[in-house]
Amino acid sequence: MRWLRVRELVRKEFIQLFRDRKNRPLLILAPLIQLIVFGYVVTTDVRDIRVGLIDHCRTTESRRLVDAIDGNRTFRILYRMEDPRELDALLLKRRIDMGIRIPPDFSARIRKGKTARIQILVDGSMSNMAAVRISYITVLLERFNGQLLRDLYPLQLHYGEIDGRIRTWYNPNLDSQYFFVPGIVAILVMLLSLLLTSMAIVREKEAGTMEQLIVTPLKPAELILGKTIPFILIAQGQMIMVILFAIFWFQIPMVGSVPLLFGATCVFLLSTLGIGLFISTVSKTQQQAMMTNFFFIMPFIMLSGFVFPISNMPLFVQWLTYLNPLRHFLVIIRGIFLKGTGFDVLWPQFLVLAALGAFVFSASVVRFQKRLD
Amino acid sequence: MNIRNIRAIARKEYYHLIRDFRSLYLAFVIPLLLILLFGYALSMDVEHIQTVVVDHDRTPESRDFILKMAATPYFDIVGRLSNTEAVIRALDHNQAILGVVFPPRWTENLKADRQSPLQVLIDGSDPNYAGNIRAFMTAYIAQQNQSHLVEFLNRQGRTSIQTPVEARIRVWFNEDLESRNFIVPGIIAIIIMIVGALLTSLVIAREYENGTMETILSLPVGSMEFLLGKAIPYFFITLTDVLVAILMGQLLFGVVMKSSFWLMVAASSIYIGVALCIGLLISVKTKAQLVANQMAIMLTYMPSLLLSDFVFPRENMPLALKGLSMLVPATYYIDILNGLYLRNLSFAPLWLDFAVLTGMLLLLAALNIRALKKEGM
Repeated sequence: MRWLRVRELVRKEFIQLFRDRKNRPLLILAPLIQLIVFGYVVTTDVRDIRVGLIDHCRTTESRRLVDAIDGNRTFRILYRMEDPRELDALLLKRRIDMGIRIPPDFSARIRKGKTARIQILVDGSMSNMAAVRISYITVLLERFNGQLLRDLYPLQLHYGEIDGRIRTWYNPNLDSQYFFVPGIVAILVMLLSLLLTSMAIVREKEAGTMEQLIVTPLKPAELILGKTIPFILIAQGQMIMVILFAIFWFQIPMVGSVPLLFGATCVFLLSTLGIGLFISTVSKTQQQAMMTNFFFIMPFIMLSGFVFPISNMPLFVQWLTYLNPLRHFLVIIRGIFLKGTGFDVLWPQFLVLAALGAFVFSASVVRFQKRLD
Repeated sequence: MNIRNIRAIARKEYYHLIRDFRSLYLAFVIPLLLILLFGYALSMDVEHIQTVVVDHDRTPESRDFILKMAATPYFDIVGRLSNTEAVIRALDHNQAILGVVFPPRWTENLKADRQSPLQVLIDGSDPNYAGNIRAFMTAYIAQQNQSHLVEFLNRQGRTSIQTPVEARIRVWFNEDLESRNFIVPGIIAIIIMIVGALLTSLVIAREYENGTMETILSLPVGSMEFLLGKAIPYFFITLTDVLVAILMGQLLFGVVMKSSFWLMVAASSIYIGVALCIGLLISVKTKAQLVANQMAIMLTYMPSLLLSDFVFPRENMPLALKGLSMLVPATYYIDILNGLYLRNLSFAPLWLDFAVLTGMLLLLAALNIRALKKEGM
């Protein structure tokens, strides 16, 4: 092993990557743009509910209900109408999320001590948000019921109220950026190291320059090092940039240890570079390499707990996710960023990540060397 | 424009594809994988929340509260613990996401007409998930409060009193509230971008890298012919993917398209055209496959996934990104998919989406031709 040769190969790789002017902004801007978009977009909060309302009753009671809805921060009554068909049309056109219809006998039934039924139509197309909207209207109606009962039967009612003191642990304001921005850092590192490594090697094959590299005195190990070191450096560089951006732009507190984070990234890169090498051994063209990359990237991202909670997955799939290096890296990076957890808690993830990385990387190196011979 | 020229270019591209068997094979396997993943494994719906309870109160009332909670589809009681510290430990070790603690004298306070605190702890690390849990828990507590009042009145002898207002909630367009019903159609838009735009982004760049672009430029082939010839093979591959996706969604997951099949084919064809044009434009402009690929991911795949109303609602985006999302073709295509799959709409309410997509297609085609002309075609 001669370091001089490795160094020259690394230099060549850097020259090739940055020679083209167009590449330079791409390598810097692409991750930042992705970080910003992800940071702002990945939330399924229900912030306001657009309501269409029909009040067939028009009495004190019904107006009280309408006021309760109108006075709630989340609900926004956008349309009031008479014709139920209009309500249906608005729902169909996605102008409202919820239609509320108060029947003519609303107050008459309440006054008799019977149950008045109001009709609520919900657009269920985004089911997760629809479920939250339904619980918001439920809360509103139950509180309204409580007040009505207390007003109707003031003397007889001596029963307390459950006061739900809800606290959210780890992320008190349920700020989605706290959760997603560190995750995006992990995904960007993976995307880059996988794609760049595999495509850079396949490019040599496609252009026929691989043959030339093989006839040089470069040893296989030196070739592998020369081809992976640039991307380790680039990935770490981008990591620094993205983390700085996360801290200063998104104001994500970085409470844990920075060296530990870089250590974790190195261990994680072992897996991704290993997979990148593997892809390069099975691909002849860059088109193939790219498609094979996607074959790995998509399940990695989807089954990592990045957006879709692992606990929602079928049990068998949950077991599969343990083989996903990104899953473990996400636990580490979120732990370090948000909870400030140290190696004493995160060592199982480190261990699994290292084992996965060692296995994948060494298997790929063996395969890569065989291909060279 | 000469049909023979188009055919010749298309045939050349077709041979490239056939010879590159694995790219072709992946162009079909990746969509299948995506559909299977999204259909089986991924769900946005929050159900079966792992809940632990601590009951210091130990009364029929607190037991009733817990029993009724477990009877909803949302909460699964996975453990009864002895104190709050144990709850926090359970949250720390991911054994539970929700903890409910009944303090001593909980029922006594209620019966004495006092506010009776109930401690609820939620693991907030996934804010979207935690937000849902918070909403469900608040609704459940409100329901309990209300039924306590009615029960109390009834116990006082006022048996004629019923809950004053009750909601009859009907869910439209996705009656069983399954996220699968909107994710499986939405994934078609993503598939088209991966197969259509990402694959084609390499097509012309490859010619430049291999030096064969010079040869093509010297041929008597017009830019329009070249463009069509390059696009046609990929058009059919992507369209096949769409058909397979429609079929799989229906057969495996029962996600049925309610509206007209031909309207779906028309919308998909226009959108595939847009995707191919973006891919080819990137390819001409970058002239290097590695860069083209990165650009294509940035400009097609990511925005389609994030800015299109696919799983992340546009209504929550800051204004600048909302504006940006209007430029993303997937926004309009996903609106069409939503209309065709869930709302059973016809062409009339969707004409604007169709018009915008067609406009994008024409504009992108014109940009492509201009870029090729500049190269000397």
